[in-house]
Amino acid sequence: MFKSKKVLTLAIVMVLALSLVVTGCSNDAKDEKANSGNEGATTEKSGEKAEIDIFQFKVEIAKELEEAAKAYEEENPNVKINIQTVGGGDDYGAALKAAFQSGNEPDIFNVGGPQDIKDWMDKLEDLSDQPWVDKALEGVLSGATVDDKVYALPFNLEGYGFVYNKEIFKAAGIDAEKIVDFKSLEEAVKTLDKKIKDGELEEEFPLLESVFEFPAKETWITGLHTSNVALGQEFDSSIDAFNAEEVEFKYGDSLKKIIDLQADYSMHRDDKQKLNAVDYTTQAEEGIAIERVAIIQQGNWVYGLAEGVDEEVAEKLDILPIPLEGGKEDSIPVGVPMHWVVNKDSDDAVKDAAKDFLNWLYTSEKGKEYVVNEFHFIPPLTGYEDLEVEDPLGRAVSRYAEAGKTTPWVFMGYPTAWGMEGLGNNIQKYLSGEFTWEQVISESQAQWKEMR
Amino acid sequence: MKNSKGWFWIFVGPVLLAFVIVVIVPMITGIYYSFTDWNGIGNDANWVGLKNYTKIFTEDKDFLNAFLFTAKFALVSLITINVIGFGLALLMTKDFKLTNFFRSIFFMPNMIGGLILGFVWQFIFTKGFDSLGKLLNWSFLRGWLADPTTGFWGLVILMSWQMSGYMMVIYIAAIENIPESSLEAAKIDGANAWQRLRYIIMPLVAPAFTVGLFLTLSNSFKLYDQNLSLTAGGPHNSTQMLAMNIYNTAFKFNKLGLAQAKAVIFLITVAVITLTQIYYSKRREVEM
Repeated sequence: MFKSKKVLTLAIVMVLALSLVVTGCSNDAKDEKANSGNEGATTEKSGEKAEIDIFQFKVEIAKELEEAAKAYEEENPNVKINIQTVGGGDDYGAALKAAFQSGNEPDIFNVGGPQDIKDWMDKLEDLSDQPWVDKALEGVLSGATVDDKVYALPFNLEGYGFVYNKEIFKAAGIDAEKIVDFKSLEEAVKTLDKKIKDGELEEEFPLLESVFEFPAKETWITGLHTSNVALGQEFDSSIDAFNAEEVEFKYGDSLKKIIDLQADYSMHRDDKQKLNAVDYTTQAEEGIAIERVAIIQQGNWVYGLAEGVDEEVAEKLDILPIPLEGGKEDSIPVGVPMHWVVNKDSDDAVKDAAKDFLNWLYTSEKGKEYVVNEFHFIPPLTGYEDLEVEDPLGRAVSRYAEAGKTTPWVFMGYPTAWGMEGLGNNIQKYLSGEFTWEQVISESQAQWKEMR
Repeated sequence: MKNSKGWFWIFVGPVLLAFVIVVIVPMITGIYYSFTDWNGIGNDANWVGLKNYTKIFTEDKDFLNAFLFTAKFALVSLITINVIGFGLALLMTKDFKLTNFFRSIFFMPNMIGGLILGFVWQFIFTKGFDSLGKLLNWSFLRGWLADPTTGFWGLVILMSWQMSGYMMVIYIAAIENIPESSLEAAKIDGANAWQRLRYIIMPLVAPAFTVGLFLTLSNSFKLYDQNLSLTAGGPHNSTQMLAMNIYNTAFKFNKLGLAQAKAVIFLITVAVITLTQIYYSKRREVEM
């Protein structure tokens, strides 16, 4: 009895120890296989076989990109594309760093603005000789160019402004065409607010309870987007912002007016501190999409969210300019949210295939169709004349872009985390009454200086 | 047992090896990085000596705030979790029909991942409480998580709800191990329920208290996922706990060196606090 027990324990221990060894081995084996895959690409150089690893961040297009890759693989049977998607902002950055540190370096990945490009400079392949460079719309490559060399392909164009519901405006008798500056906007908001309070719109829009929804919890909306309305006119480009040692807040008072307008005509106007718990979902899906509010400060990307909730409402949406008093008042900020880059340290054959894939995606007939019709991107390049953006918000952004009524996105050039962790938090303090507006400005200026 | 040394290494070796590779080595490299200005991406980590450490103590207000918030949270949740857990354990060791059913119910929250729990409670606090407040006209139920106070209590409620069931299981095991005879003897000697609890049950459960307090204390200090999903540190970083402050320093501000220095301080603090706690709780334990 005693002996058998001993044998049993020994057996268990051996199994455990063995499994440790075996799993160790199997991992090695996997690594080897992965490596040999890459080596295979180099040895059979003559364009034979290449395996491209893509590490991208846009969750919304994960499936569609997969399909596009498949279409490319069909045309180029010797290329295999593996796509990995890690969602949203910070998580992507951390995951990308982890991927690089683990030695599993992707061949194509995404970077944001100038700070990202500087951080990743050691890894970026020079793409200046790519055919799409000449086709780029004016200014879109500014965030991807360092010393006259282009390092990145812009994802798409995105724009944001005051997204509003056309039908509500019509019912309230407001002519959106006439809203071209801050004064006319304020006027319209007041009219709308009065009609909501008086219950005049209740029958048609039973859920409507306020003009705005202002999600101060989401510091990317306040600290990046809202602030960009003012800073986008203080700085000429994200590079300009990136190189600035200090921030002046030239249009600080006008920025305050834009924030106040949204807060004062929101659901929590009497206790603005509560805006600090209002999130993106409350603003978009549970706000504009169900006609609970009439206007939100958002971009063309909310179309997909609104469409998911109520297709009819989504079709009623359009974009008003965000008027910065004293600056350009009839414009919306339009910019490039993300870039594609190629890893310099990948094997040559893989690099060539990767470049070719990106070029195919953005310039070939088939690729362009994916970009516009499947990804719902507003293309950053020319040559898309015969492809019409389908959704109303995308069309609105194109409309502003064509009319030249745009201001640049400069928040990519803010010091790392300054917008969200610095200014965004200061705006929260302003709403909760802890800070005056002057304190928001001075504290944010100090933080900018310190973080540079 | 002639070659016990050989056996010793066969048993300990594999585990020791794994432990060295995944814990000791990373810890040492981590300590090394805390003396550099590494940004987490390039290969250029420059030695900056103690600069990171002095920066934490002299300039970094957020770290101090996170530290105080975490300490406050750990203290409060230590009390609530263990009081509720012990209370439930006392109830669940009484003889009635549905004890097993209730035990599993109370333990259930612990089986759900922290992130999901955070989102569930976020919904309850911001939407559920809000609707209830609207209905009953109780203004204190509205706007939860929008200010530091409700953010703090939201976290405490969430953690108490999650951890109490786990502590309950530990205490149940301890209470059921108390020999029936001692309780009976006390009863015959005329001890009332409170006296039996205070002088018989509590001292005999003391070893479990050591474990329970240790687990809650170290878990509260290291809390990250619930913090992230419930408040994400907001509003204006007022509910940011230590682990989150370190993560943000590393991955949002790209200051991995500084974050490592914070992590080293964090490690030392947690170790000192929990070891002190174990030392004192151990002294209260009694041998049967």
